[in-house]
Amino acid sequence: MSTDVVAILGFVALFALMLLRVPVGMAMGLVGVSGFSYLVGGGPALKLVGQTSMRTVTDYTFGVIPMFLLMGTFVSNSGMSRDLFKAANAFVGHLRGGLGFATVVACGGFAAICGSSVATAATFSAVAYPEMRRFGYPQSFATGVIAAGGTLGAMLPPSTVLAVYGIITEQDIGKLFIAGIVPGLIAMLMYLITIAIIGYVRPNFLPTGPSTTWRQRFAGLKDIWAPMLLFVFVIGGLYGLPFLPRFTPTEAGGVGATGAFLIGVLTGRLDKDKILASLLQATRTAAAVFTVLIGALIFGYFLTVTQTPQKVTEFLTGLGLGSYGVLALIMLMYLVLGCLMDAMAMIILTVPIIFPVVIHLGFDPIWFGVIIVMTVELGLIHPPVGMNVFVIKSVVKDVSFTTIFKGVLPFIATDLIRLVILIAFPILALWLPSKM
Amino acid sequence: MKRIYMDRFIDTIEWIAAGFVGIVAANIFLAVVLRNVFNYSIPDSFDFGRLLLGILIFWGIAATSYRGTHITVDLIWANVGPKYQRWIDVFATLVLLFVVTVQTYTLFDKVRGTYYDNVLTFDLRWPTWPFFAVAWAGDVSAVLLIAVRTYRLIFQPELMQEPKIKIPE
Repeated sequence: MSTDVVAILGFVALFALMLLRVPVGMAMGLVGVSGFSYLVGGGPALKLVGQTSMRTVTDYTFGVIPMFLLMGTFVSNSGMSRDLFKAANAFVGHLRGGLGFATVVACGGFAAICGSSVATAATFSAVAYPEMRRFGYPQSFATGVIAAGGTLGAMLPPSTVLAVYGIITEQDIGKLFIAGIVPGLIAMLMYLITIAIIGYVRPNFLPTGPSTTWRQRFAGLKDIWAPMLLFVFVIGGLYGLPFLPRFTPTEAGGVGATGAFLIGVLTGRLDKDKILASLLQATRTAAAVFTVLIGALIFGYFLTVTQTPQKVTEFLTGLGLGSYGVLALIMLMYLVLGCLMDAMAMIILTVPIIFPVVIHLGFDPIWFGVIIVMTVELGLIHPPVGMNVFVIKSVVKDVSFTTIFKGVLPFIATDLIRLVILIAFPILALWLPSKM
Repeated sequence: MKRIYMDRFIDTIEWIAAGFVGIVAANIFLAVVLRNVFNYSIPDSFDFGRLLLGILIFWGIAATSYRGTHITVDLIWANVGPKYQRWIDVFATLVLLFVVTVQTYTLFDKVRGTYYDNVLTFDLRWPTWPFFAVAWAGDVSAVLLIAVRTYRLIFQPELMQEPKIKIPE
């Protein structure tokens, strides 16, 4: 069999195993080793498994993933999301659709210390949804705004998905985090504009909340010192702000996790059970991500011996579509894949193949990281799979998938416009990292 | 009675994994504080950090594999009835068991190689093989837990119970 046939069979087997619910990382590892063993030999293939597994799990740089996951779980379980929501609500709750504004702003604030879209969506399903329903917000809008707001988790630093992209493509994770700030803020702003437009076009659809005094508003700010302190210290240290010690991304994660733990314990919000739950939650997610990373690295050797990335690059650049045509094709592929799998699996599976194409076309790798994360995040809210939608459904039992997807539609349109803006103006993502 | 012992064993493995993530965070935090406040570097902090990370991940894989919380594609599974869901889970777990067993076998070679090559840490010149061995023990636990999961999925699906520590949604 030629290497091309082996590669195609490998991909068919991989997708078959994944569809039969074999963990993505294990499927990649199994197909990678089998293919490598067929082409190179059983002995070297088995050696590859032990060496790649141990090398991956003992790479200090990869420690960034469990550390930011731990920071996120401590933050989630200590209830900081509720304070963020209350503070945002005090400022904008009286406007038409005000609780929607408050949800987006609080999601942004939470995303800045959490790093996971799914965690952000799950948290605000419990915090913001009951409030919105209490004030008569329609189910579709309430769930739609939470699903969309949740996606901010992967864009605003620290972002686990961006960290994984950085690891796979060997890009500076600190720069990737900083590159996500402006696009993340644009996302927040555009979601707020979307809510304002919905309120303007359909005034009876969204209610207003009670007004608050300025004294009450500033009082609410007192309760959000902890998330603000964490964000400034962790991301400021990563960026290299003059008054802070400079951290590597792994150190920033470790300091953030310990900081979130200390704040939670000192304010009495983290008891023994919550601490254990946070540790366990972070461990399980980190292990799941590392399993996919190990599998992807083994699968990467298979891709190398079959020369798949080079062949894909030759094929795509030979289509005569131009660089932006190929980019559009790649993004379309991601949107379709978003119907099948979650963001992390998509990034780990496809980036090793797509990245050489992108570099060959002359695109900036940091900018592409932001673009690709934005695209896969769109997959978290668009039908039929939309992971954030599933998460919301698991927390909010009395709502149908159709209702949530209906509520998400305006935000999907917003996301597509934002994607076009970011592609047209790469400087929006690259300006801040260029100042590091 | 047997069931209680088995569940205690499973919970203990999960708690060991959870403990290591805390130790890794504390090691990093302490190293950063001492470096920036007292201009002092903990000897081998970097090596300990990465070796503990390895231990954490392999013990974490054990917990994750038993609870079935790996990253999966649920497209078909979510659209079939409970009977087929169970058989899909059994198939996926058998594949998982095979892959992790092979991984454990090959990792043992790596631990043995590290022992014979006398690989040492950078500052304190401590042997690294005990760390690798503890990490490997995590992978052995993973094989055991996946075997338990497979058995329970086939013969005692009602025993696939929730962990003692309730993870908040």
